Amino acid sequence: MKRNVAIIGGGQTYHAARRHDVDQGEMVNEAVRAALKDARMTMDDIDAVFLGNMEFFEGTHLTDCWLAGSAGAYGKPGMKITTGGTVGATIIGAGMHHVAAGLFDKVLCIGFEKQEEGDTGAILSGVAHPLYGRSMAGAAVGYFAMMGTSYMAAWGAKEEHAAMVAVKARQNARKNQYAHLKLDITIEDALNSRMLAYPVRMLDMCPASNGACVVILGDEKTARDRCKKPVWIRAMDTAHNEQFEIDWRNVTLTKPIFSTACAARMYKRLGVDDPKKYFDVFEIYEPATWAEMVWYEDLGLCSRGEGFKLMEEGATAIDGPIPVNPSGGVLSTNCIGASAMLRVWEAALQIRGDAGGHQVPKEVNRALATAYGGTNWTVMTALSSSTED
Amino acid sequence: MNQKNTVTEQICVPMTVDVPYRFAAGKYMARFLTELRDNGRFVGVKCPSCNRVQMPPRVVCAACHVKNDEWVELSSEGTMVGFTIMYLPLTDPTTGKPHEPPFVYGSVRLDGSDSTVEHMVNVEPDLDKIWVGMRMKVVLRDREERIGDLSDIIHFEPLPGQKRPQ
Repeated sequence: MKRNVAIIGGGQTYHAARRHDVDQGEMVNEAVRAALKDARMTMDDIDAVFLGNMEFFEGTHLTDCWLAGSAGAYGKPGMKITTGGTVGATIIGAGMHHVAAGLFDKVLCIGFEKQEEGDTGAILSGVAHPLYGRSMAGAAVGYFAMMGTSYMAAWGAKEEHAAMVAVKARQNARKNQYAHLKLDITIEDALNSRMLAYPVRMLDMCPASNGACVVILGDEKTARDRCKKPVWIRAMDTAHNEQFEIDWRNVTLTKPIFSTACAARMYKRLGVDDPKKYFDVFEIYEPATWAEMVWYEDLGLCSRGEGFKLMEEGATAIDGPIPVNPSGGVLSTNCIGASAMLRVWEAALQIRGDAGGHQVPKEVNRALATAYGGTNWTVMTALSSSTED
Repeated sequence: MNQKNTVTEQICVPMTVDVPYRFAAGKYMARFLTELRDNGRFVGVKCPSCNRVQMPPRVVCAACHVKNDEWVELSSEGTMVGFTIMYLPLTDPTTGKPHEPPFVYGSVRLDGSDSTVEHMVNVEPDLDKIWVGMRMKVVLRDREERIGDLSDIIHFEPLPGQKRPQ
């Protein structure tokens, strides 16, 4: 990177299924104010604003224009970014590139979603080709169900392993004051929850949440002058999969796909030999339980086909050796346009030691955040307490 | 006039956005769909560099960044790589009507293809009757009913005489 870039502040709303009390702008403004307060800044300090959400989820286009006032963007440079489920991380990536390149010193990044305002399944069906697959499109649940049957057949995992992920997420969420689904559930509860699409049950899926997240980025001089606990972005990378090839349904796949290719490139750049030792905590984008276990494998936290064993051992518990999603993750909160940014912000909070009730009980110096969106691509962010990494 | 900024009523307005589009299938998809409609055949393209057979056909092999121009015919039989029993009344976005649950659908790799295709499966929603690795065949509509999209496939059907692996 030409210039080092740090996360110098951030904030989020309380996430919930219903926010009829606010419009999109008022909701975004809550997170903007929280982030400015955290960074001890005002909008006058901010050079540029980058904002994004899911395309047309709220039935409105040009959300950057709609929200210019409440986002604080009026009269400032910046742009709207829309990359699907990854968008929150892509916004940070765009902000990071601008700061690293020296164009701006202080950038405000906003990801938001008012998911209740639209029909998620109907809008997502537009991701599928009109002549090839759209008639079956309409919900992510079927996709993750096929991932589940494929994963069980390939590796001998059981529905109980998915239930363990469901419980871990919601029990962690109970420690996170901002999380949406704070459920005191057991494995039996997860296994007895309503079947949506075999083997995916209600508690195997993320909720539809409303919420916003804001992260403020600064160059090294700003970070050292103004921020007590800057969290440094040491690397960001992205990789796409190709249209029509939904590789995660065939979970034995050995060729590189978006997730493994992206991780390999980032690890090489950072000199990571063993990611589970290099990083102290992970915040990954898991819209369904099965995806979490596949992520373990794609990130190299275990061998192919052993993700469910890692879960079974409790290795990824909040107090385990490889804590994954102490925040409760996407399974507990999914305001989609904010979800990938929340992964980065939650990872940054862990490094700052400011995660509160869901702070992992060990020293955290490095964290990895992933984003995930259709039709299968990722943005990964490596964070550190030091610029020496 | 209430001078305090207190909400007395929350207003949410329902609305529907119905937007017409006209979508060009393009050279590769059009050839694939006309082969399916007119001849009841599945065709793919083979990458000249990695030999990967891709279905539906597309202009570029994404992995190799080269143009695909060798066409190959694929089997109407294949192997199930993932399936689900759907219990939600999913709306078919192309018709606006729900698929009646429970129903089975899955992702099948046709013999000779490196890609998979997803469709309904004509089995009862029973885990003893559907599994990953099951051999399937495509059942198409009659020639005169086919219109040149994936709805020309009625469903996949298991090849006869298979026993669930233990």
